[in-house]
Amino acid sequence: MDVKVFQFNGCNKCFNESLLLKLDSEYNVEFISEPKKWKEEKIETAVITGYVLPTDKELLSKIRSKANKVIAYGSCTVSGGVFALANQHGHEITPLKGLIDDIIEIEGCLGEVDELKSVINGEELMKPKKLCDLCIRRATCEYLDKVHRQIELENEETCFNDLGFLCNGFVSRECKERCIDYNTPCRGCKQLVERPGIRMLGMFGTLMGNIEVATEHSVKGATDKLGDEDDDVTRSLPDILGNFFRFTFTTSGLPKGRIPSSGTLLEDLFTGRLIEELPLITGLLGGDKSISLTLKIIESYEKANQIEVSEQTMKYREDLIKLEEKLYEAIEKEDAKQYKEITEKIRQIAGNMNLSNVFFGGFKSKINEEDNFEEYKTQIFEVVEGTYKNGSVEYSIDSEGIIKEIKIREG
Amino acid sequence: MSDYETIDETIQDKIQNLVVFMCNECGQGSANTAGVARMGYDPAIRIIRVQCTGQIGPIQIMDALNNGADAVACVGCCLGACHFFNGNILSMHRIKLMKKLFKELGYSDQFVNQYTSRAAEGETAVGDFEDIVDRLSTAIKEEGTIKDGC
Repeated sequence: MDVKVFQFNGCNKCFNESLLLKLDSEYNVEFISEPKKWKEEKIETAVITGYVLPTDKELLSKIRSKANKVIAYGSCTVSGGVFALANQHGHEITPLKGLIDDIIEIEGCLGEVDELKSVINGEELMKPKKLCDLCIRRATCEYLDKVHRQIELENEETCFNDLGFLCNGFVSRECKERCIDYNTPCRGCKQLVERPGIRMLGMFGTLMGNIEVATEHSVKGATDKLGDEDDDVTRSLPDILGNFFRFTFTTSGLPKGRIPSSGTLLEDLFTGRLIEELPLITGLLGGDKSISLTLKIIESYEKANQIEVSEQTMKYREDLIKLEEKLYEAIEKEDAKQYKEITEKIRQIAGNMNLSNVFFGGFKSKINEEDNFEEYKTQIFEVVEGTYKNGSVEYSIDSEGIIKEIKIREG
Repeated sequence: MSDYETIDETIQDKIQNLVVFMCNECGQGSANTAGVARMGYDPAIRIIRVQCTGQIGPIQIMDALNNGADAVACVGCCLGACHFFNGNILSMHRIKLMKKLFKELGYSDQFVNQYTSRAAEGETAVGDFEDIVDRLSTAIKEEGTIKDGC
């Protein structure tokens, strides 16, 4: 079966993952990392990865007319993914279905290769299971007194949302990456319902019932009205767009943002996000340098704020860097077997390909059964205003922990 | 002569549909009282009766905005006087988050609002309506309508 995988813009994590198709001899896979050089021949199955822009429309229409089947693989193609957060600054990342018709969508960051295989074979996808059904944590459904941006890792029984720690699992379906297994709340890359972000906003807003909301006297109505000033509710969630609409901004029905752009698309995507979210966003962005970029950001912050890092943590981080180099080689050689082995090793340490387990000061869950977890357990860290620099990355945060400016050179 | 008649005509053109969710108790009650007393209010106001403003959340607000509303407001019971339990406060939390979200996207936060009114006093509802139009026209003057970005 002929399959052609096209990589458009942005992260190439899903493009790399489709290398696993080669392990199955029934597919004759060709990888096209520069779609502009494609020779426009007939295609049986076209797989599109990476985010798409309106400027890609012409090329995409050509692919559509030449291919029997077009598959949008990964959240970036389906809905703009994490890159679409740059639309807050006026960029125009579009879901693939907004540019061409008749496509099959496979969501997920990272998209699941098993789903891709069954779609290529023309099978129906399994009915989705709710993530909450599979989660070991249980809901208490009590109003929150406080929203937490970081939590202690002690409690492993209560639902993240009920601990005051936003988790999008409520509106998401089962996935393979399973961030929730690594003490990381779900980011919601596979949606269970339509407009998950908006629904989650309603649910979490209700849960915040005990937190004080500002009211003011309305002169004309002579009664109280909802106040305009900042209050505990708005201060609890400094980045609503990034927290609730991480993967679904373009499909949520919200208007496009009109905050002035401050640089490249990649820099715009980071501006406005929160410091504790940074490792996850860099992890999601994937690409060949995601591990080193994530560690660079973490290490610069640790160094400047004297966060102690144990030897064991350093050892695991070094292992990750080495694995990243090997992964790069495997991708260069298009060696699917080696790619599978290395990603499995990365998953052992970092939890998943989104690096859920990697955090400031250590790791979020036990890596090896024999390890003493206390040695490299991450702790709650203080948000310190300032500018942090490490090699090719430089970012500054304000007193709330919001990224004000970021510069990423190359990669 | 009330204020809405003095608003700049170009802005008035942009205020055609104001969806107001009014609760069945105080909200709708005060609108009824206003009707009985024949008080006038802006013709752009479209009242939708709901059991409690606690039923209104981001989904309903976005549905209204995506389908042509220029602004959305909720009118519920006074603080502490919700006829159910605390629906008006819960709704305020959600609307406050919506306001913050619009600000994050670079829009004015006046496209969504929540008010309270008293069933026995029709002028509270009419006053709320005037306030919606006032705030919206100031927002449009300064930052444009929400449709400019859609």
